[in-house]
Amino acid sequence: MYGGGNTFEGVKTDSVAQEDQVKLGEFEGRIARGEKIEPSDWMPQLYRKQLIRMIEQHAHSEIIGALPEGTWITRAPGFKRKMALMAKVQDEVGHAQLLYSAAETLGKPREQMIDDLITGKSKYSNVFNYPTFTWGDCCFISWLVDAGAIVNQLANAKGSYGPYCRALERICAEESFHLKYGHHCVIYLATGSSIQREMFQDAINRWWPPMMHFFGPADMISTHTPVLMKWKVKMGTNDDMRNQFLDMYVPKIWELGFTLPDPNLAKNSKTGRWDYTEPDWEEFKRVISGDGPCNKERLEVRRIAEERGRWVRKALKSPQAAYVPPLA
Amino acid sequence: MNNIALKELLYKIADDQLILGHRNSEWTGMGPLLEEDIAFSSMAQDKVGQSLAMYTLLHSLGEGDPDTVAFTRRGNQFHNCVLVELPNGEYDFSLVRHFLFNTAEVIRFELLSTSSYEPLAQLAKKIRGELRYHTLHANTWIRQLGSSTEESIARIQASLNFSLPFAMGIFEASPHENELIESGVFAGEKALKQRWLAKVEEIIHQTDLHLPDLNTVEPVPGGRVGKHSEHLQPLLDEMSEVFRIDPTAEW
Amino acid sequence: MNSLDPRVNRLSTNTYPVPNEPTAPLDQFGTFEVFVQPKGDKPFQHEGIVHAPNLEMAYVLAKEAFTRRFVCVSLYVVDTANVAASPITEGDVNIYQRIEDRSDQPGEKLSYEIYHLTRRGKQHVHAGTVQAVNAQDAMVKAKHQFNSGKGICSVWVIQTKNIRFTLPEEKDLWNTLPEKKFRDASAYKGGDKLSVFLQSKQKSSDHSGHSDNADQ
Repeated sequence: MYGGGNTFEGVKTDSVAQEDQVKLGEFEGRIARGEKIEPSDWMPQLYRKQLIRMIEQHAHSEIIGALPEGTWITRAPGFKRKMALMAKVQDEVGHAQLLYSAAETLGKPREQMIDDLITGKSKYSNVFNYPTFTWGDCCFISWLVDAGAIVNQLANAKGSYGPYCRALERICAEESFHLKYGHHCVIYLATGSSIQREMFQDAINRWWPPMMHFFGPADMISTHTPVLMKWKVKMGTNDDMRNQFLDMYVPKIWELGFTLPDPNLAKNSKTGRWDYTEPDWEEFKRVISGDGPCNKERLEVRRIAEERGRWVRKALKSPQAAYVPPLA
Repeated sequence: MNNIALKELLYKIADDQLILGHRNSEWTGMGPLLEEDIAFSSMAQDKVGQSLAMYTLLHSLGEGDPDTVAFTRRGNQFHNCVLVELPNGEYDFSLVRHFLFNTAEVIRFELLSTSSYEPLAQLAKKIRGELRYHTLHANTWIRQLGSSTEESIARIQASLNFSLPFAMGIFEASPHENELIESGVFAGEKALKQRWLAKVEEIIHQTDLHLPDLNTVEPVPGGRVGKHSEHLQPLLDEMSEVFRIDPTAEW
Repeated sequence: MNSLDPRVNRLSTNTYPVPNEPTAPLDQFGTFEVFVQPKGDKPFQHEGIVHAPNLEMAYVLAKEAFTRRFVCVSLYVVDTANVAASPITEGDVNIYQRIEDRSDQPGEKLSYEIYHLTRRGKQHVHAGTVQAVNAQDAMVKAKHQFNSGKGICSVWVIQTKNIRFTLPEEKDLWNTLPEKKFRDASAYKGGDKLSVFLQSKQKSSDHSGHSDNADQ
């Protein structure tokens, strides 16, 4: 679950000019031919740096994303939902594990990445800085936030870096049940009692603005980094991804009889794109910088989890000669 | 075959599995190591899945459907042992509980694999592989943490000392022990406890831990007859929080 | 912390102060490469890594990290440091072209497992076992025994004794995997319920003469 291709920080491209231009040419040729880059290949500094940031933040999004849904595991109504949610949230933790591993092939150790998350140095998908008040909120995340993540993941799976693509293939395969499960939950709420329908409508009303933020700032206010597109690190613009999501899911939300809290939301038959009230990007900036309803809690829970586990890891650690990055 | 005796047996096994699975699921996303988080969650799912299989058997014997039985009974209607309802505490307690409970569960299902009640024998054979993993996991962790640093040995030892009285509550005799044994449905809690003790000793002896003389350990019974600690009802209230919004609704 | 999450509120009764000591290197342990066998007649394939304190724990953890979801029959793990990896080639170049032939080396012959990567982006797959005196020698042996001539862009060599294999009695670890439908998309078919709902919506809008869809 993630806000794909975005790293919420500015990108400095000056180092590219200083790279060995012959090697750079070969590297770019490989990518243009559709061949994957593997860990032992030569790569420009910016490529390595940007990928570490991107994959790491995707991993952080998964482990933090496990919290707002995880809180409903103990309260899931009935065996079917209980077991499904246990498996789904477990998968999020698993995806974090897979993604940290992929980032590690680029040379950054996992403890460093986890430290950077806890100290606030590294970011994660903003959508998880909001609270899940009800079972309806949990279902919103299970269905629509997951759907958004899948749009990003499918695009990034066609990227250039081998380990990240392999991780994403596995993630996409596991996510297929998440999406069906999420939709299944919402269908039951929509076709159930008025309490159930209202619960989900209420969740939509609160979660729609963060969902519109999910794919990152509008193209017109984002800085574009063409080299990242050329290197197949960023696979599509934020608005492209957002439109894809709206295309696929707004009709499904409407068909269930729910409303979306944006009177301007409509498909523009001339442009083929969606019209909508421009999201509040100042609000987005505020929340991603730490001032959202749950930021402090999310990081504190993560810090405490690591702290509680410290004695376990310390007990079993054996003195080792050197850190060996994973191979693939 | 005495249905009352059989149902009582099935209920206590199912309730143990559900409550322990529920407790262990609380660690999801908050474990001491990502990979261990994943492993512990899998075993929690196994336990809840096994309880569902047991409640389904009970349903075929005339009891309510699994959701109703699991999500609407009051605490004093549950027959799990008190051990499994205790709060998770730190990872040392959760691991020790997992080890003590699983050791008993594996033996229980080994005994049940030759049960005269065919559905139970089949289920026992089916989940053998799952329980094998739980054993591999529990024994590996206890062996390793029980033999490494002073801190880990001290923590595991303290949890072991704390848990043993509650663990003995697993074997609280049913009023129907004799019928179950004579009808060949189950070899009984006494047989189970004996074999459990031997197995626990075997593993503990491979570590720097020390198993207290169980004659000096005062068991904490009551769970099997609905006498629970103050922890069960809040657990059940939480578990049924959404379900109770409308118990007739389909979620 | 006053949280919506009851688990977090239970946590708050303890305190977990920020420690003075920084996280030690390898706080998250070293890594082990994981290989999975999808079906009985298929070769083992590399899937990824687990962080673990030792080989046995790596096996225990890998089992759920990599074989909990999709049907498979076996698993093994090895310390990353015990994998000898060849360089990776460009385009169609076969890595064995880069591996020089050598005469038979003296010394005790040990068993080595050989893995091939047939295309960048895919995973290494087990190709076979050779007897050799060291990893270099094993690659040469593999060149003679397993070089299919087609694109092999990378070779891994692992000394057999360094691998924690699945024991025969552990084969049933994956027995119930095919039955765990609750993790399959196929267990969440809401289509019928949805159709019934849409039909009844259509009926009521036909009767009332106006659309009750909020979207149009």
